[in-house]
Amino acid sequence: MRRVVVTGTGSISALGNTMSELIHSIENRVCGTKKMESWNQYKGLQSLVAAPAELPDVKIIPRKMRRSMGRMSLLANFAALEALESASIPKETISNNPRFGCVAGSTMGSAEALNDTFETMLPDHDLTLLKSMGFFKSISHTVAMNLAQYFRITGCVIANSAACASSLQALGTGFDLIRHNRQDIVLCGGAEELHPTVTGSFDILFATSTKYNQSPEKTPRPFDKNRDGLVCGEGAGILILEELEHAKKRGANILAEVIGYNTCGSGDHISHSDRRAMVQCMESALADAKIKPSDIDFVNAHATATLQGDNEEAVAIHTIFGNKTPVNSFKGYLGHTLGASGSIELSIVIDMMNNNVIYPTLNLDNVDEACNMINHVQTKLNRKIDFILKNCFAFGGINASIILKKYEGINE
Amino acid sequence: MSDQIDKMIYEVFEESFEIEKEQLVPEANIFEDLGLDSLDVVDLVVALQKKFNVEIRTDERIKEIRTLKDLGNFIIELQAEGLH
Repeated sequence: MRRVVVTGTGSISALGNTMSELIHSIENRVCGTKKMESWNQYKGLQSLVAAPAELPDVKIIPRKMRRSMGRMSLLANFAALEALESASIPKETISNNPRFGCVAGSTMGSAEALNDTFETMLPDHDLTLLKSMGFFKSISHTVAMNLAQYFRITGCVIANSAACASSLQALGTGFDLIRHNRQDIVLCGGAEELHPTVTGSFDILFATSTKYNQSPEKTPRPFDKNRDGLVCGEGAGILILEELEHAKKRGANILAEVIGYNTCGSGDHISHSDRRAMVQCMESALADAKIKPSDIDFVNAHATATLQGDNEEAVAIHTIFGNKTPVNSFKGYLGHTLGASGSIELSIVIDMMNNNVIYPTLNLDNVDEACNMINHVQTKLNRKIDFILKNCFAFGGINASIILKKYEGINE
Repeated sequence: MSDQIDKMIYEVFEESFEIEKEQLVPEANIFEDLGLDSLDVVDLVVALQKKFNVEIRTDERIKEIRTLKDLGNFIIELQAEGLH
């Protein structure tokens, strides 16, 4: 099978509109969580915190391209622009290349657009004031569709929708498309947008953080004994995956190699995390990469700061890696960016791998006894990182794990 | 009345389609000069309905409109019909 490398990364999130802003914020232990003052108007919404992003001037995207983009698609577009620039791929070289694809995901279409549609239609059951673009912003493949239209991508276009595993599945799908010789380059990732209905969906299930509305910077708290649930974030992460020889031929800067991936269902429960399925997912990814657990230098956990999810993941990681391999979560910095979390967080991991540094889990002050069986990173570590494993676990019992290897250039 | 209608139509094009003021002249073709397409026409109808408090979604005359002047005349016709 062909080898697949990462040649570009781009992100937009609560911690800035570029990779360098994101990494700078993480180095400085910045938490992106804010109090959402306007959310007080919603009866029954207990969690009034979130990690919002700030969009750049959207008018740099021509109106006709922008009109079908809801907030999540705009976020994805900006992340993709950065990723392509980082990969030294000019936008005008993408079109008419059937070997250049796009795989991007989100939990659903734009929540804001869906909400606007219903607010327009339902009071009088009147469709006459519905605009043409509500559909294009709301459809589940809106992110992939808009990226493909804006960048004129004519290769394979696929939209993954598996909630919090969406963008990691997108990366895994892109990895498969390239290694099986269906595509040479794939723009991969995911996006998600904040909306009170999104936080509300978790809130009514008692999965959100509710005790830190007056001190938002203290939540979420992955693996901490005082964690009380997830905090929704928003943003987008886009990575450029490329076949190794293709990347070498054009002199691309290779950031990492993708060597293993797996996605699987738990077949057990729609919302409960399942350590057995998590173990299966990670073990299958290791088998795909043909490496041993002891080869992994660092695990980037999904860990959203829910009581049950963090506990299950800690147990699952311990089952495979024991108590020596360093483990962290980025949710304390970014909130849970849901469908975008896999690709945003993997971009950070790549930067860490190349700088041989592991950033700590933010807001992890006192490790919960139920999560204490693994090696939590609580202060910045400097050490050589050659192999990493990253997890994403989604509602619906859908799991995904990916494994990257540092690319050593001439030694490879 | 026509000037006021033109002003309101131009506002729709500025607000909904980000068309520069200088491009908004009576003879401007809404497709060839202003760049609208069939999807934009759906939104143009919605915006005009709101602006002029009319219901025109299924009015066949919309299909004949090409210029801003045509559009102004259409609105004047609608308002005249409303007076009867």
